[in-house]
Amino acid sequence: MTGRQFARWGALACAAALAACAAQPPAAAPPVPGPDEVVAATPAPPAGAIDIPIEYYRLGNGLKVVLSRDVTAPTVTVGVYYHIGFRIEPRGRTGFAHLFEHLMFQGSGNLGKMEFIRLVEGNGGVVNGSTRFDYTNYYQIVPAHVLETVLWAEADRMKALAITQANLENQQGVVKNEVRDNVLNQPYGGFPWLTMPQVANTNWFNAHNFYGDLADLDAATLADAQAFFDTYYAPNNAVLVIAGDFEPPVARAWVEKHFGSIPARPQPARPDLAEPVQQGEKRDAYVDRLAPRPALALAWQVPERGTSEHYAFSLLDTILLQGEDSRLWQRLVQERGYAGGVGGGINLLGNEFTYDGPMLWMLYLVHDPGATPEAIIADIDAEIARIQAEPPTTEELARALTKLRASLYDLAGSSTRFGLLDLLASFALFDDDPGLINRLEADFRAVTPEQISAVARVYLAPGRRTVQVVEPGRAQPAPAGGAP
Amino acid sequence: MRRRAALLAALLALPGFAQDRELPPPPGAPHEFKLPSRETVRLDNGLAITFIDYGTVPKVTLVASVRTGNIDEGRDTWLADVTVEMLKESTTTRSAADIARAAAGMGGALSIGAGGEQTTASLSVLSEHAPAAAALLADVLRNPRFPESELPRVLANFERNLAVARSDPQTLADEALAKLVFGEHPFGRVLPLEGQLAGYDIARLRGFYERNFGARRTHVYVAGRYHRAALEEALRSAFGDWRAGEAATDLPAKPSEELQLALVDSPEAPQSSVRIAVPVPDPPHPLYFQTSLMNSLLGGTFGSRITTNLREDKGYSYSPDSSIRPRRGGALWVLSAEVTAEHTAAALTEIFREIERLQREAPAISELDPVKNYRAGVFVISNSSPAGVLGQLAFMDLHGLPGDFLSHWVANIRAVTPEQVSTMAREFIRPERMSVVVAGDVAGVGGSVKALPQFAGARMP
Repeated sequence: MTGRQFARWGALACAAALAACAAQPPAAAPPVPGPDEVVAATPAPPAGAIDIPIEYYRLGNGLKVVLSRDVTAPTVTVGVYYHIGFRIEPRGRTGFAHLFEHLMFQGSGNLGKMEFIRLVEGNGGVVNGSTRFDYTNYYQIVPAHVLETVLWAEADRMKALAITQANLENQQGVVKNEVRDNVLNQPYGGFPWLTMPQVANTNWFNAHNFYGDLADLDAATLADAQAFFDTYYAPNNAVLVIAGDFEPPVARAWVEKHFGSIPARPQPARPDLAEPVQQGEKRDAYVDRLAPRPALALAWQVPERGTSEHYAFSLLDTILLQGEDSRLWQRLVQERGYAGGVGGGINLLGNEFTYDGPMLWMLYLVHDPGATPEAIIADIDAEIARIQAEPPTTEELARALTKLRASLYDLAGSSTRFGLLDLLASFALFDDDPGLINRLEADFRAVTPEQISAVARVYLAPGRRTVQVVEPGRAQPAPAGGAP
Repeated sequence: MRRRAALLAALLALPGFAQDRELPPPPGAPHEFKLPSRETVRLDNGLAITFIDYGTVPKVTLVASVRTGNIDEGRDTWLADVTVEMLKESTTTRSAADIARAAAGMGGALSIGAGGEQTTASLSVLSEHAPAAAALLADVLRNPRFPESELPRVLANFERNLAVARSDPQTLADEALAKLVFGEHPFGRVLPLEGQLAGYDIARLRGFYERNFGARRTHVYVAGRYHRAALEEALRSAFGDWRAGEAATDLPAKPSEELQLALVDSPEAPQSSVRIAVPVPDPPHPLYFQTSLMNSLLGGTFGSRITTNLREDKGYSYSPDSSIRPRRGGALWVLSAEVTAEHTAAALTEIFREIERLQREAPAISELDPVKNYRAGVFVISNSSPAGVLGQLAFMDLHGLPGDFLSHWVANIRAVTPEQVSTMAREFIRPERMSVVVAGDVAGVGGSVKALPQFAGARMP
């Protein structure tokens, strides 16, 4: 994350509005199709459903390419997503995937430090990057006529990393300040998106500090960076998405011209990310130096992405937790008044499609000392028991599907197209099928009310949950805190 | 200039960076951008409705903007916020749960909140529900029940939010800055005092509502795809017989022009929150475009001078940023930076160094033109969604800007010269008029900050 224009990393806003799809175990070395072979076509959508135009193919070096044309505004959004996130960064180098994302702005074959950013901004665009569980992305939205310039620049940094020790040290300083901004110098910093996985998960890949221990960040070397780049920043480990105002044949030619000659590199087998099914509730508590009130989070493992259970679980999430009409909001906020809001969802740093491995469903709230965690949990349990015993009503399910349809239209109609980019890239990288986006609504409509109750019974069992309590580190400070 | 030369030298020293660097392919010819069409109608009671046709997906966004907010609170800080929150707690015919379910059933969520001068209620729904959404918005704005039973819970939520705000060093810095800049004006009070919220009973909320809500102060904006006749009919029927109410309050905030420094203690904080504010021309002023572009170059973009210096050269800060905050009658240039505690004074020195450099010499065309391109590009992005256009129009209405403000926007930015940018920095970003806040570990950083030459003679309240 380099940035400033859009949501900062670690913001707790849950973008989840959608749900799941087919998780395929990634092959050690994906088969490389012939040059420009079209590997998927978009099937006809059901009547009245969303219909996003998608062209999907691979270059000879294995780079996946997704084109989605929309000429509503004379802008184009370009994203390069690498299939490397913080989950599988090296041991002893926590936070490295994110630090490395910063380094990708520090110099490449033909662009010096800051020159990538100046090139994009100086041509009327905005630029950023972010690191998530299973991808690191670099994206920009630019005026349509600047497309080739940006493709050239993204290809330039896919070809070669060119950074100095001074650049590395500079970005170590920046990243440590980012951690202070977002975690160390903020009440509830990192809660629960960063803190909960470290408690609920058991596999190191899912359970380490994704932002990084400051000592680990300091230990990173140029050699680490080069090795990381050589391993993971290969064309056959990435997808390029172009969405917006462009001429497809011209864009295809530019993509081939600038990316086509980058050599493929063998990819290591992905480590085993599996989490064993949790046997028995876990409890955790910690003191937050700045927090004035207690906070509570609960987490459960979700069904495997891409299964019908996962679609059912996504609708369960919508009915229980998404929006002020949801059952848990109504009970915890509106009726009991424990908190001003309750947050959560599947994958707090994205949505239920934008990851590739085990994932938690979380819910969290900041409450007053008068309410004990036990009392709040009893209310949550009661709502869970209710949906486990009795399927949602037809009216409630219809409302969840209406929300889903509205959120799909929002994706398609957004002027930045960032949400669209995220889904197309995730479906291409993790499922090899960006056309899934046009089948989502039909797949959700196939879920029955009874399936929703069934996944609640299996996955929201009390023995499968983790409870995390934040204890306030200080009482409410005096008014104005010494201000004049 | 110096930095560019240094950068180039560093590049040439790197292996693999021969002089024959490949240059990026130049951009093609810009595509045409047309602002979406819009039309405003005014009802007999004074309520305005602006229809904006934009987009391809079957959704429509409705925003009712009421000219009230914290500006009408007097000393009752957050009275506007509490009042507005209670609008969602039930109408004469709908419970809070009914409101939430109705909005969700249309594919949206009702969002309502008080701002400094504008209170907005908004709802984005599937197009076929546009008339029903209009009715729901009107019901919430016109028929609040202010249920006594819900007030303790709502106040407890605000008390909790307040406690969290008071434990956040960044919020404390913002609070102290507002107090320095706006003093006794309602904009000078960001957070309520201890015990103050408890005094807000139903009678006071009702009183605030009765004084400040009505058709004359309300402008409804509609953007997206919708059946125009059906939606206009629904809006006329929902709002047409609303009482006119009082005209909007005219209480311009006059920002301080005195050099002031406040230190806010946050013991052991690993970072200091630095805030600098100084008055600048507001949007209707002819110099607004010049100051706005000056800000972009100085601190308002990723590649700007202050960001490059503090972040990319020194590593002192993750996301330093400056912006123009266009309060009516009292616009401010505000710089915000969270900096490593031990570099607090050094960061301030660098900020002042960049300001003084811009005051001293006009930027090169080669530096300024890319900044203009950036602003022109972001203008297109900002005006390429229903919500974006709607926000721009609401901004124009608040500030009384002419109808062709947007059509001339890019040309006005393009016309600014390097000398004007430097002049704006000299005229307005004057250290002797600045209000400065440093929130952090005062025992550790306070001495070195106070010793900076720029703060000699500063009032320290």
